[in-house]
Amino acid sequence: MSERGAPVEIKPEQAVAEAAALGEKLARGAELFAKLRDDEVAIATTPKDEVWRQDKVTLHHYRPLAPVAVSPPVLIVYGLIGRYTMADLQEDRSLVRNLLKLGIDLYVVDWGNPTRADRWLTLDDYIDGYLDGCVREVARRHKVAKISLLGICEGGVFTTCYAALHPDAVKNMVLTITPIDFHGDTTENRLGHGFINLWTRSLAPEDIDRLIEAHGALPGEFMGSVFSMMTPMRTLMKYNLDMLEVMDDEKKFLNFLRMEKWIADRPHHPGEAAKQWLKDLYQDNKLVNNKFAINGRTVKLSDITMPVLNVFAKDDHIIPPATSQALGAKVGTKDYTELPLPGGHVGVFVGGKSQALLGSGIAKWLGERQ
Amino acid sequence: MDPAEYMKALAELWGQGSRSFMAAQQTMLHDMAARFGKAGAGVPAAAPTNFFDPQAVTQANETFSRLWSSALELSQTFARNLQHGKEPDPLVSGLLGRIFDPSAWFAGTDGMDAALNRLAQGPRLADLWNTERQMLNVFNAWTALRRRSLEHNTVMLEAWLKAAGSFAKMLNERADRSEALGSWRELLALWVETANHVLLETQRSEAYLKSQRELLKASTDLRLAQQEVGEFYSQMFGYPTRAELDDVHKALTELRREVRALERAGRERATGKPRRSGVAKPAPSEEGPS
Repeated sequence: MSERGAPVEIKPEQAVAEAAALGEKLARGAELFAKLRDDEVAIATTPKDEVWRQDKVTLHHYRPLAPVAVSPPVLIVYGLIGRYTMADLQEDRSLVRNLLKLGIDLYVVDWGNPTRADRWLTLDDYIDGYLDGCVREVARRHKVAKISLLGICEGGVFTTCYAALHPDAVKNMVLTITPIDFHGDTTENRLGHGFINLWTRSLAPEDIDRLIEAHGALPGEFMGSVFSMMTPMRTLMKYNLDMLEVMDDEKKFLNFLRMEKWIADRPHHPGEAAKQWLKDLYQDNKLVNNKFAINGRTVKLSDITMPVLNVFAKDDHIIPPATSQALGAKVGTKDYTELPLPGGHVGVFVGGKSQALLGSGIAKWLGERQ
Repeated sequence: MDPAEYMKALAELWGQGSRSFMAAQQTMLHDMAARFGKAGAGVPAAAPTNFFDPQAVTQANETFSRLWSSALELSQTFARNLQHGKEPDPLVSGLLGRIFDPSAWFAGTDGMDAALNRLAQGPRLADLWNTERQMLNVFNAWTALRRRSLEHNTVMLEAWLKAAGSFAKMLNERADRSEALGSWRELLALWVETANHVLLETQRSEAYLKSQRELLKASTDLRLAQQEVGEFYSQMFGYPTRAELDDVHKALTELRREVRALERAGRERATGKPRRSGVAKPAPSEEGPS
């Protein structure tokens, strides 16, 4: 028991013990840091081969890790914010490896590194052009009329639009952490959740136009700073507290560094496509209201007639669950399944708890719909 | 030097430096305005007089300085009182000084500000004084960015003060209940939790969102003003301008789009199965917002 007036009573022996433990941790960390090599923090190492290319976009086919047990093949579609490598961060935290081991034949599209020269590319180009090219190529290689799509985040929106516009080319659609109702953050209104939605709505459309006019793109580092704002104290403490916590444990420290590597690899988002993303979707919420158009055709969610698996993270602060779940009431199929998983936006892909659930959940669902 | 003393000295130096800088710039601007007035032809007479708002910058600066002093005082009080009843240990004071350093909130949560500044502050063209009008626009935009940055930092500093107040209240309540914190780790965890909550609340406030938006607009204005200077010199020396390159890229994007449409049409003719698809539309208009 302590007396009034002493809110902090740290005993000398406690302070000494803490200091000693810290000293040991630092020493072990320094030793570990000195022997680390860059290839030890390599990400996205699952072997794959480039099979198609157009402009800066490449399509890759993963080499199988088990006999193919599920047909047709699956194309992973990530968005233009961040990179697909999150789905294959490291050997024991890899959706890609988990799916391959469960007999899924897997492809992934890499959008490359857009620069100002790609300023005029629109979402129409990505969805109806490049993604369509990838889908056709996979279908051609396997001599099938339809393939399955697995969309992640913004890539899930691409997938949704594509499936609505080309239902004849999509066998099954799996969405993960995908926003459909961009104003759905107001449903729960949880503190710290849905800040990007709120922040984007606080801008005037002309602010976004001028930003793109000035930079020709939505700069990757700009989006990175917006994401950092969403976890303010974590960002503040990341390199002095979080890193300190793990730096004497090789496995945890490597995990930390690999995640940092993924975070740092943030490509620029082509300008005109960014305008559509921020104004048409985040501000005007056109997708869920069936008002979003690609190449002059309205994306009607009721045209999504193939089976749909919608995976969301229960604690996703970037894409709050309600923004994803809105799809259920809008699709034109009765075969609609939701898979809520523990963890946050990135945790659902790399977190220990969801590792066992995500890959197996998707593979089982696909296997039942061959 | 004690971290708190260091911060105080830094704040004073910073404040003094800013005031001197502002005074110098105002003199320079008035001088330039007079020169423009005399030059007359080809330069809009009204441009130099209403493009700069020194009062607004000074006001933003003063508000920030006042809050900064309060924050420093509170930070020092924490460092003193948390070692209640003991001879202050300089090492512990140093540690507490760093934990409760309000400036860390700008270093850590100021990513947006830093990113915007990095993006906006391209090549320095301060020596090119023969294009006064464009350079004045650049300077005006830079000053506006500084003002907006100060305003945003003021919002952040207010949040720090609020977090520090909540933290102190919680410590006192613990003391009342005779539940003293027994380790630095516990102390830090309580601070992180308290501060995080306040920061997240702040981010949802109208003041925060407004200052963010103004900061974004100011950085964009600066970038566009710099590009105007760049365009002038590119034209002068016969280099391709940004606008010309944008035109070329736009044409290339449209050509690629047409190629894809032709390929698709060819496939459909060959298979006799037209896929439901729209017509490739031209790239959006280049005209920027007014």
